Amino acid sequence: MSVYKRANTPFELYEIDILNADDETLKRISEELGLNLSINEMKIIQDYFKKKGRNPYDIELQALGQAWSEHCCYKSSKYYLKQHLFGINSDYVISTKDDAGVVEFDDEYAYVVALESHNHPSAIEPYGGAATGIGGILRDVLCMGAQPIALIDPLFFGNLDIEHSTLPKGVKHPVYLLSGVVAGIRDYGNRVGIPTVAGMVFFDESYLTNCLVNVGCVGIVKKEKVIPSKAGGEGDIFILAGGATGRDGIHGVTFASAELSEKSEEERSAVQLGNPIMKEPLIHACLEIVESGLLTGMKDLGGGGLSCAVGEMAFSAGYGAEIWLEKVHLKERNMKPWEIWVSESQERMLLTVKPKDVDDVLYIFKKWDVPARVIGVVKGDKILRVYYKGYLIYEMDIEFVTSGVEYCRVYKKPETVEREEIRDIGNYKKILLKMLSHPNIASKEWIIRQYDHEVRASTVLKPLQGRIGREGHGDSAVVKPVDDSWKGIAITADVNPWMTKIDPFWGSASAFDEMVRNLVAVNSIPHSFADCLNFGNPEKPERMWEFVESVRAIGWMAKNYPLPCVSGNVSFYNESPYGSVAPTPTLMGIGIVEDIRRVITMYFKKRGSAIVVIGETNHEFGGSLYSVITGLKSSNVPKTNPEKLKNYASNLLDAFKRFKIYSCHDISEGGLAVALAEMAISSNIGFDVNLSFVELFSESNTRWVVEVSKRDANKLVEFFTDNSLKAKVIGFTDSELNYGSFSITIDEAEKSFKTGLSKYLG
Amino acid sequence: MIASVYIELKEGVTDPEGEATKKALHLLGFKNVKKVSSIKVFRIEIDSVSRDEAEKEVIEMCEKLLANPVIHNYRIEWVD
Amino acid sequence: MEKDEIRIAVMRIEGTNCEDESVKAFKALGVYAETVHLKQFYSDFIKEEEMRTIWDYSCIVFPGGFSAGDYVRAGVIFSARLKSVLRKDLEEFIKEGYPVLGICNGFQILVELGALPGFDEDRPIADKPEMALSINDSNRFECRPTFLKHENKGKCIFTRRLKREIVVFPVAHAEGKVTFPMGREEEYLNTLKENDQIVFRYVDKDGNYAGYPWNPNGSYYNIAGICNVKGNVFGLMPHPERAIWKWQLYSDIDLLVENDFWELEGNNEADGLAIFRSIVEYLLKF
Repeated sequence: MSVYKRANTPFELYEIDILNADDETLKRISEELGLNLSINEMKIIQDYFKKKGRNPYDIELQALGQAWSEHCCYKSSKYYLKQHLFGINSDYVISTKDDAGVVEFDDEYAYVVALESHNHPSAIEPYGGAATGIGGILRDVLCMGAQPIALIDPLFFGNLDIEHSTLPKGVKHPVYLLSGVVAGIRDYGNRVGIPTVAGMVFFDESYLTNCLVNVGCVGIVKKEKVIPSKAGGEGDIFILAGGATGRDGIHGVTFASAELSEKSEEERSAVQLGNPIMKEPLIHACLEIVESGLLTGMKDLGGGGLSCAVGEMAFSAGYGAEIWLEKVHLKERNMKPWEIWVSESQERMLLTVKPKDVDDVLYIFKKWDVPARVIGVVKGDKILRVYYKGYLIYEMDIEFVTSGVEYCRVYKKPETVEREEIRDIGNYKKILLKMLSHPNIASKEWIIRQYDHEVRASTVLKPLQGRIGREGHGDSAVVKPVDDSWKGIAITADVNPWMTKIDPFWGSASAFDEMVRNLVAVNSIPHSFADCLNFGNPEKPERMWEFVESVRAIGWMAKNYPLPCVSGNVSFYNESPYGSVAPTPTLMGIGIVEDIRRVITMYFKKRGSAIVVIGETNHEFGGSLYSVITGLKSSNVPKTNPEKLKNYASNLLDAFKRFKIYSCHDISEGGLAVALAEMAISSNIGFDVNLSFVELFSESNTRWVVEVSKRDANKLVEFFTDNSLKAKVIGFTDSELNYGSFSITIDEAEKSFKTGLSKYLG
Repeated sequence: MIASVYIELKEGVTDPEGEATKKALHLLGFKNVKKVSSIKVFRIEIDSVSRDEAEKEVIEMCEKLLANPVIHNYRIEWVD
Repeated sequence: MEKDEIRIAVMRIEGTNCEDESVKAFKALGVYAETVHLKQFYSDFIKEEEMRTIWDYSCIVFPGGFSAGDYVRAGVIFSARLKSVLRKDLEEFIKEGYPVLGICNGFQILVELGALPGFDEDRPIADKPEMALSINDSNRFECRPTFLKHENKGKCIFTRRLKREIVVFPVAHAEGKVTFPMGREEEYLNTLKENDQIVFRYVDKDGNYAGYPWNPNGSYYNIAGICNVKGNVFGLMPHPERAIWKWQLYSDIDLLVENDFWELEGNNEADGLAIFRSIVEYLLKF
């Protein structure tokens, strides 16, 4: 006899017989309905319904599949996140509980930070996947009541030079994926009118079968207007606004909680399409409603669609809800109730408003041509009930659904061999040119110029800086969010997966160090950060070990710096039969610029100024560009220390006030050799220095190079040495790239830098 | 009635989309590709008393919205 | 008119997105400006206090963005909607000499509307478009600073307060290549020159006419912006509203060298503001 029994309703609804199901049948139900729940989880559900004395309907099981997915309830990561990363609060952090972190900007305003992955959809359909990633992150910021002001997009792909014939079956070429992702971000971000100001693009073979698309967004909101992601109070009305609900994006979260396989190609329904021209008025309408104070709560519809949004809004407020599902406006006919409930169609927001304000809110949506409907009401008990055409088809305790499950997954350090093969093999010039043309270093202009990075006209430091026509990459972008204030927000995104691959602990600590360096380099005070943790299959102990090491390192750095982690996202299962991605804890750092007229850029400003290196250079080559280019392996990933980092950062920020510092650049991939070349290429001003092998190419953390007036150079060095820190004049700006033991013309260096990436992209 | 309306660039007007597509196809190994042209198609379903009336209306649509006469030609094909 | 009589409308529909910064540029000069949704001119459900007519304003600005998603062609849907509800009013408005400015998508709208190049003073809106802003030669969206040479001899009311011959405004568009009818380019160019309708042309860092990337889209004759024969309708692809303050151009070295980096209290104004100031000065004498 079938376990699926058609209910006696004038629409398609099934009762599912789990009360009498054995393990085998439970497993089958989970698979057949695409729930992606384990036997153990199915048994918990079975017990719950046994107590209720009835079988669940399909919509109830589907809702649990969504709510208990890795994506929605962080069941594999929560245990370790709590242990290492949560609770690093500062007095200026306003909230970290909701979809995005809210942090004090000044007396009147707060900034909002969100960072998320959109990996699985982008690997299958790069254009739509990336576009909807942007859509989702904008909603996360918008639902706090904030105006989005900047987008950030760290991307990770396989190596571009791979032959088509050697691609594993079903895997798309990295050039195709990169072009599609960039086009998706471009077409969505540009159309909604939010500038894409920063990001990173990293190529490594481990991303061949799983590209990573992380998207971040920063917003600004008056503190008093921050909207909680929870229902207002009993009797408040739920309004669903935005795009129509369709079958697109059904099972997106369960999809994101499993490994990709060859078959994924066919599971297209898990990828949604975006409509930026619905989003743009939706942003305006929501902000107008926020401004007029008509809202009591707001949440975006992301993973799990209505099922998660309603549940989470009611749960966080300690209420229940009653929903009338037939009120939801649909894209297509004959959708089953459970499909409406879990659809992940884009451009939708869920609001709660007081009954007296409903008409005013609907008027504002109508004015912006945004469809909006009343779909339910907040109830006093903690039960969620869903009706469809008068039939009660869903009745569960909100706490049972929404609090989810939690695991303490086992982890195990994989066997590795310590290696140190790094040696000076000469040939500096050739190596440096190779570095400059490596796609990870080379100019990302082909990508960056396709993004509007200055719409809203508040971008102070753009992603490309320098003499017009020969710009290089800045360390952080800076935006000026408030009209009548000179204060700015600096934004950077960082991680070096070559390092995390060798040593997830020191690699992740290095990512934190680099994030702080980039913020400080533009003269901003590191203020908060968000993380997007992209890892493989957490059910494999070696992958879980990478995750735990990484979280431990970030937590250690953050706690001792201290710098609050205000928002985050975990993406597991970035793994295919061909392997897992390198551990990729992307960090998005936010800094406060006290006066944007004092920002510092990375290109040399004039000939004849002194060049000073701040920090200590050691023989540290693990995961370095030198190691990758030469093929000489090293396990010695650069170390760092949060107190030391803080000490250097504070002193450098102080030095910016005291001395005439013209430019500043952080030293990272390719070491000082590459940092100096970048400063020269984008200014057409060279330098004259004399550097040893280790000084040239080591990638030790906590270092910057600054250009300072000749007169101030020695005073600057003394300022650091007086505080027991290291600083050293290494030479002066001049006309060519003269490293002492070799030299290159600027044009030669520029050619490698400019063509290294674009030659693959046309 | 259903019309397919083809909007093409006039002969001689540069077609960056076509050019870029050709370049990409070459990169993918389709070395025999000689030319790629981008053409936009709108499928328009219309109620009308006669084909002639409908055609008149569709022509007006082309001139008022779908094509820019400075760079485009248009062509109507009735599919139903 | 008096300063406090000046009312600027920055028009929008879904997808326009540079309206706030355009409003701010005018507000910086102390005049009233507001964003107005096209619906406010005709829709019957709009609340009375939000209803508008064109005669409520002394200047209309079509801002940048992607009106209606730029589907079909950039700007064409906005222009079709304008034609259906505002054509007569707008023609009258232009004939009376009120200024109409189109930036980026706004330029595309004015071209599709037939308001630019605007050769006929008596019929300021042509029945069909007479030029096109076609897809960039690079086939990509291009967001970059451009050097513009101001070549107008005085006809264009929007650049009369511009102090410098060469200015830096950023562009950000995918469809901005000025294109005239095939085979009649020279004829068009001569008319534009005779009428003093050419306003900005793309040049390189040394002020010479040059190709990509200095001319970011492949525009004919390096044209970046033109006005109508009367000088009161102006469209340009670059964004002056993104270059009204020096800090908006901090990423570009040439300006930093020129302006003392360390001068915090000094004048923060950059060249873009002159476009908006020209409008205000013109209206003050109107």
